[in-house]
Amino acid sequence: MKVCLLSWEFPPRIVGGIARHVFGLANALARNGDEVGVVTLDFPGAPDYEDIEGFKVYRSKTEIGHPNFLTWVFLFNHFLEKTLAAANREFNYDIIHIHDWLVAPAGIGFKHLLSKPMICTMHSTEHGRSSLHSPDTYMIDGMEWWACYEANGVIVTSNSMKGEICGHFHVPDGKVDVIPNGICPEKYEVKDDPWDTRRRFGVGDHEKMVLFVGRLVPQKGVEYLIRAVPRISGRFPQAKFVIVGEGWMRSHLEWLADKSGQRWRINFTGFISDQDLVALTKSADVLVVPSVYEPFGIVALEGMAAGVPVVASRVGGLAEILEHDKTGVFVYSRNPYSIAWGVERVLSDPGYKDWLVKNAHETVRKRFSWEAIARQTVDVYKKVLGDD
Amino acid sequence: MNGYPSVSPSVRMPEEFRFLCMLHNVGATDPERSLSVQEIARWTDKEVPMIRDYLQKLQELGYVQPIISNETEKYHVSIMGIRKVLTLYS
Repeated sequence: MKVCLLSWEFPPRIVGGIARHVFGLANALARNGDEVGVVTLDFPGAPDYEDIEGFKVYRSKTEIGHPNFLTWVFLFNHFLEKTLAAANREFNYDIIHIHDWLVAPAGIGFKHLLSKPMICTMHSTEHGRSSLHSPDTYMIDGMEWWACYEANGVIVTSNSMKGEICGHFHVPDGKVDVIPNGICPEKYEVKDDPWDTRRRFGVGDHEKMVLFVGRLVPQKGVEYLIRAVPRISGRFPQAKFVIVGEGWMRSHLEWLADKSGQRWRINFTGFISDQDLVALTKSADVLVVPSVYEPFGIVALEGMAAGVPVVASRVGGLAEILEHDKTGVFVYSRNPYSIAWGVERVLSDPGYKDWLVKNAHETVRKRFSWEAIARQTVDVYKKVLGDD
Repeated sequence: MNGYPSVSPSVRMPEEFRFLCMLHNVGATDPERSLSVQEIARWTDKEVPMIRDYLQKLQELGYVQPIISNETEKYHVSIMGIRKVLTLYS
């Protein structure tokens, strides 16, 4: 099958989980024997075209811009369409698979001009991210509805997201398939010196490292972890906190850290390389995922694969990935006391920590391999192509 | 309720960050597409002193880089700045 994946982010243009998802899917489909093209936006230093592990990547340049965000989105979609048309002349794709509303105009145009089916993976919704508080958010909400309406099939990564899509956009239940995000556990089998990694990020050999990884935006709930720092530190005076990621809330979070009186314990690293992220996750004592809204929660999966115990809010997809007291610890969202309780539970009992890590590792290998996910995705392609 | 007031709704996006987004969206994302202060003023409809103030703050944070082109100082969003902007949109 000849498949075109359309996404606004793809490595090294990594924003959230979509870039990693599209990379994992493209790689697994190519290994499955499918011909895969990825059409995406350019990024400084990345080539316009490259062949990666059996699939092709086309990066589109947005030749004109506009200060208004939504106008910019429509402009880059026009240039994506041009790149897509050029790639299609070479490969004559059987199906196009778009990821989120940001590339919907290009995908929908392709669908109608070439009479090819379109699949849409909805990774999250504006309704969930921001509660529709402005004209722009209503516009994005409408674009998401349009993408689902036009798609021949919709894929979501959790049952929680399926409920959101079917309920909010009135998409028929039978049109939506749940296929989780995947992970490459092998990525975490590299040998490195965890003590060296910890030291590089400001954590001493006898200290406990509490790790957060994610965008610094309200939906990730980082502020509640920072508010839990004094309580955790009261119990574990040797605790250090490493906050990995970027976002518009960073200055506010740094202010909150200052205000807690514990700023010296908290290291805001900003964006770090994939290699450092793997090494850092492997060397942490506990990974906290304090999200307020989380359609899937790939960071939790990465923690499970890396062998670090995960403490997470029981929201959205996280509630489906983890099992409390077996593969992780659930805490209440927006609740620093509960987060502190979860972290203390893991740090105070090494036997319990090992039990969680062992169970989590087995779960990741069984349920979240990219090969299984690629097979399920191909089944959806076949269904819309009438080949099943 | 857990007794903790929710902080986020009252947290506003800093103005210089909105400005960074505009600079990104008009395409000033590499040295070849850098813009002078006057060009930025035309794109963003903001006053020059305010633009200089934003650029200074963003440069200090590493989100904007200056270059000299044809004896004119021009600015573009750095890779770190691009990543910062994109976190808003995902």
